Amino acid sequence: MRAALFGLFIVLCGASLLVGAQQVVWSQVFTLSGDAWLTITASRLPRLMALVLTGVGLSVCGVILQHIVRNKFVEPATAGGLDAAKLGILVALTLLPASGPGVRMLFALAFCFAASLVFVAIVQRIRVKNTVLVPVIGLMYGGVLSAVAEFYAYQHNILQSMQGWLLGDFSKVVQGNYEIIYLILPIVVLTYLYAQRFTVLGMGEGIATSLGLNYRATVALGLMLVAVTVAATVITVGAIPFVGLVIPNLVALHYGDNLGRTLPVVALGGASLLLACDILGRLLIYPFEVPIGLTAGGVGGVLFLLLILWRGR
Amino acid sequence: MTHKPIPKMLRYAVWMVVIALALAFLFFRADWDFDYVIPKRLVRLAAMLIGGVCVAWPSIVFQTLTGNRILTPAVMGYEAVYLLLQSLLILFMGTQSLVALGANGNFALSVVLMLGYSWAIHRWLFRDGRNNVYFLLLIGLVLTMVIGTFTQFVQFKVSPGEFSVLLGFSQASFGKAEPGQLLASAVLVAAVCAVGIKTLPTLDVLSLGRDQALSLGVDYQRAVRLHLALIAVLVAVSTSLLGPTAFMGIFVANTAYALARSIRHRVTLPTGCAIAIGIFILAQLVVEHVFNYRTTVGILVNLVCGAWFLALMVRTRGNA
Repeated sequence: MRAALFGLFIVLCGASLLVGAQQVVWSQVFTLSGDAWLTITASRLPRLMALVLTGVGLSVCGVILQHIVRNKFVEPATAGGLDAAKLGILVALTLLPASGPGVRMLFALAFCFAASLVFVAIVQRIRVKNTVLVPVIGLMYGGVLSAVAEFYAYQHNILQSMQGWLLGDFSKVVQGNYEIIYLILPIVVLTYLYAQRFTVLGMGEGIATSLGLNYRATVALGLMLVAVTVAATVITVGAIPFVGLVIPNLVALHYGDNLGRTLPVVALGGASLLLACDILGRLLIYPFEVPIGLTAGGVGGVLFLLLILWRGR
Repeated sequence: MTHKPIPKMLRYAVWMVVIALALAFLFFRADWDFDYVIPKRLVRLAAMLIGGVCVAWPSIVFQTLTGNRILTPAVMGYEAVYLLLQSLLILFMGTQSLVALGANGNFALSVVLMLGYSWAIHRWLFRDGRNNVYFLLLIGLVLTMVIGTFTQFVQFKVSPGEFSVLLGFSQASFGKAEPGQLLASAVLVAAVCAVGIKTLPTLDVLSLGRDQALSLGVDYQRAVRLHLALIAVLVAVSTSLLGPTAFMGIFVANTAYALARSIRHRVTLPTGCAIAIGIFILAQLVVEHVFNYRTTVGILVNLVCGAWFLALMVRTRGNA
């Protein structure tokens, strides 16, 4: 199973390198110069790296959030994280118009982290009757944050460009403007190191504390990891829904919730799903492309609906 | 159970405030201009009356059906469908869709589409006798996210001029209501109210929960279906008449419970309608005279009611 997944991942990576508007003459590539080499190194490889890192980051993010909130329907998009990041970018743009992506990312990071803390606090205070309500609360919470953003953006007349930031799109990823995404690498390593603790975290505050875990610190760490990942992806590629929702649920169905064991599968699955969606988006209206936010939203949404319907029976 | 005099006075006070607000809205800075300003304001006021009923009624009934005080029908995907329709119209027909369809055509199309959506989703989900409102909620949630992504894409694609037209549809406001639409909406709302008022006692029983209602002799499945259908009509009318008003329902319903001090729908529903109408008038007054149209009723209402919702979530330690 794992080997098959890994094989699929490799195949998708290869396909991602091969597909594109610019035809690559492969004989040129091995001379390590010329147009083909430039296409590969300046566009295709960065895109592949960004795709893989984003897929890994988003699905790992979903797993962490789901363990912290103890709800399978939570991911950054249903926990207000994305809307908070949007608001952060907006504030950065209006307060410091000359700032670079680094400053904007810091704002997005700070807003996302604060919003996630508030969300976790809200969820832990309410005794929820039904697990479906947690993402509903999250969506409403996100709605409040985006209402603030809209109030602000409407007055500055930048509503339309705001819609643009949030739509996941890899077509702008070329050498030189995507490097922030590498921040996800240390995040994933850290998550792997702390995997056991996050697994314990998923058992609830009582058990986690009695097993000797510093509950609050671990929650804060988890949320920080999520916030960094979300901020980095929103800044470089925009929002991509459902990856953090579908993959962890599918993996948990087969392998359970021991993060130390499932994390590699989750990461591979996330990267593969994103690669597949991206290839689909690039082929649908070749030589143009459909933004990945759209294909991932469609494919992920359908997958998730099937998952719900199947489990509901 | 007899009503204590104080809540009764409170309810009358709510209506008095609404009437005072309505008068203020009609005559404030109008210079007694009965030819243009005041008739125009009367149209907007009528839209607010209808809109208030269309926001308050579905929210309160939906909360009764789900037994939950932080939900509104908005999360079931109606508003997402409406936004998608408007975005697609603009994308494929450009601003000409305004001319080709006319405001009334667009309104009728929106209502029909949303009714179709709710019919499809109910029919499909209740097919095999399953009747889980939470399940419905989850489906609505996912559909809202998927449709939202598509809408975002379309909104990003259209030109800035077309976007500003789209913005007019995607923000709740009272300026776009035409007398013809108002008449059609009023007829629909009156029909729904006529059916709904007869079943108010059943609604009170439904609020006890499924098992209690069944043992008290209510055909639960049928009653829920009827009320979901009524909700669909009202939400369709409110969304196509005003635009999305996501959070307002939660605020209205909870304030209505607090003011009415009763859970009987005979009491809470009218109070809720009054509160919704009052909020609309107040928001419109603020938009017209304080912000000078630099913001919209929709944004303002979502901001205030959303902040209130957050405060409610943070403060209560109760059940949800």
